[in-house]
Amino acid sequence: MTDPIVQLRDIGVRFGTVPVLVAVDLTIAPGEVVGVAGPNGSGKTTLLGVVATLIRPSSGTGRVLGAALGTDDVRRVRRRIGLSGHEPAVYPDLTLAENLRFVARVAGVTVEAADRALADVGLAAAADRPAGRSSHGMQRRIDLARMLMLEPDLVLLDEAHAGLDQDAEVIIDVILERTRRRRGGALLVSHDAERLTRQVDRVLRIEAGATV
Amino acid sequence: MSRFWRQALQVAKRDLLVEGRAGEGVGIVLPFGALAVFVVPLATSGSASLLADLAAPVYWLVTLLFGMQLALRQTATETVPQRRLLVLLGLDPVARFVGRTLSAWVLLIGLQLVLIPLVVLFYEPEPVPTPALMLPALALYALGLAMLGTLAGDLTVGLRTRTALAPMLAAPLAVPLVMGASQSLISISRGEGILTWTLLLVATDLALAVAGVVTARPLEETAT
Amino acid sequence: MTKRILPVLAGLALVAALAVALSSPPDVLQGDFVRILYIHVANAWLAFLAFGVTAAASIGWLVRKKPGYDRVAAASAEIGVLFTAVTLFTGMIWGKPIWGTFWDWGDARMASTALMFFVYLGYLALRRATPDRQARARRSAILGVIAVVQVPLVYFSVVLWRTLHQGLTIRPDSVQMEPAMLVALLVNVGAFSLLYLALLTARVRLARLEEAVEAHERAPAGRAVTAPRLETGQ
Repeated sequence: MTDPIVQLRDIGVRFGTVPVLVAVDLTIAPGEVVGVAGPNGSGKTTLLGVVATLIRPSSGTGRVLGAALGTDDVRRVRRRIGLSGHEPAVYPDLTLAENLRFVARVAGVTVEAADRALADVGLAAAADRPAGRSSHGMQRRIDLARMLMLEPDLVLLDEAHAGLDQDAEVIIDVILERTRRRRGGALLVSHDAERLTRQVDRVLRIEAGATV
Repeated sequence: MSRFWRQALQVAKRDLLVEGRAGEGVGIVLPFGALAVFVVPLATSGSASLLADLAAPVYWLVTLLFGMQLALRQTATETVPQRRLLVLLGLDPVARFVGRTLSAWVLLIGLQLVLIPLVVLFYEPEPVPTPALMLPALALYALGLAMLGTLAGDLTVGLRTRTALAPMLAAPLAVPLVMGASQSLISISRGEGILTWTLLLVATDLALAVAGVVTARPLEETAT
Repeated sequence: MTKRILPVLAGLALVAALAVALSSPPDVLQGDFVRILYIHVANAWLAFLAFGVTAAASIGWLVRKKPGYDRVAAASAEIGVLFTAVTLFTGMIWGKPIWGTFWDWGDARMASTALMFFVYLGYLALRRATPDRQARARRSAILGVIAVVQVPLVYFSVVLWRTLHQGLTIRPDSVQMEPAMLVALLVNVGAFSLLYLALLTARVRLARLEEAVEAHERAPAGRAVTAPRLETGQ
């Protein structure tokens, strides 16, 4: 059983009539971490959205964790996908701890797991601080804490290194290490080529909506 | 508790917690609605009988318009990353609809609890013989507005004209709710039965619930 | 070919309908004012049909996700709003001489027609407010479905309001109709149906052309970004 975690064939995405992705091929094997590089507007974030099953491709075929993209099948695998976009998914009015606990309860994970993840990313002392009054880097750490807590089989990091200090780098290292060990897959977008090449198994280049 | 209800209650709890912190509904919409109730008499001749007649219509108008403001609080509007997160967590879109409706319902009942004494105080309407009879109508009215507000809010999420557009979409569809509740009050005042109007409210709430359930999945995709 | 035949046919039919409406006998009670009703009733029926088509096309889009359904839903809603406006306007100018008032709250149909007008104005406003075509199709289809569920209740509640407070009122227009007047009405309904079809096909065609213009020579978004024209050390 070595079905790929992600397999995209000739994927195209249009927003209205504007093509954003035109021909993307991508395979992520179990245990593999792939980096994505490319200039602004090349479609990296859209690609991440497609792999996350959140953006329906307009053409081409793809499977993510065994579910065919563009079908209702994706609903049953979504819970196994972890996404951290360039804008952190936090509620500014809730505290950092409350943010994670809310996610834990919706996902059916224990509150203890949420608190443990918060401590693991070094935010235990800031637990009661409202997310809206925390720095961008702290909010990014909440995104990463969620991945530690939910242990997704497919990890997707957009602008993986933006707003994170060297200390926080180790969180990403651990997430990737655990994902590899679980035979899951990961896709990282980053502008920091140096950090990226250190963390991924190979880099996929994308230009003007196509893999090159 | 089933997964569905656990999720729905978590969503409702989150909304109320956010409201507790941000205070947009209680601190802004509510006083604004109270102000509207207070200003209307100043635009009349001040005749006591006119004000008594105006009490109910003003009440329904203010609860409808400000109720929509309450249901569409900016601080309760989820951002794209927040919604994407919930989709990936496997949050049942119907549970989300139920949770959002529940939190809006609580706030709408709160709005009514504040406005009723104010209207009675400032307008001195004819006393209603058995006010308790109005309770089911008020609860069903608020429930319908909560569902309508949730739906209109989701339909317009992320649009620049949202603040005006969402109430505009909801208001004409709220007519059966206003009608059912306001006519219940008139019937009670006259000592007539309210079965027909209660049934209208129940039917409208059921129709909105069906609409909410049927559209929950396609609405989920507006998040992504 | 139909794109020329249909408008011509509709135009001829409207001329004929006008002729029949003007040459039919005056009503015993309403006199010549009855002629307004031929247009009024025809428009009202067609407005309901148009919104029905919008509802069906909305459901069609949600099930099949084909852009054609969205174009039909949008076109039909626009025409429906136009016909509803004509219905309300002709109703009011007829009401003044016959009922003695432009707006009669005693007529449940007037109030519910006006509310329906606002529901679909909102529908069109939602479409205008949503720039992305896919999102526009989805959101308006959902609203289309909600409206289908809710509009009958709006109508029913207004009827209930009247019947419980005033009792059923018998209106002159519900009295048995003379055959010549029935013919005039049916000819008008037929003519406005043709007009509806002509407008619908033209609007759908226009929407398709708009999309084609938009799609013309659109390069992938990324190609619009080039290297900055700046250099350091200048």
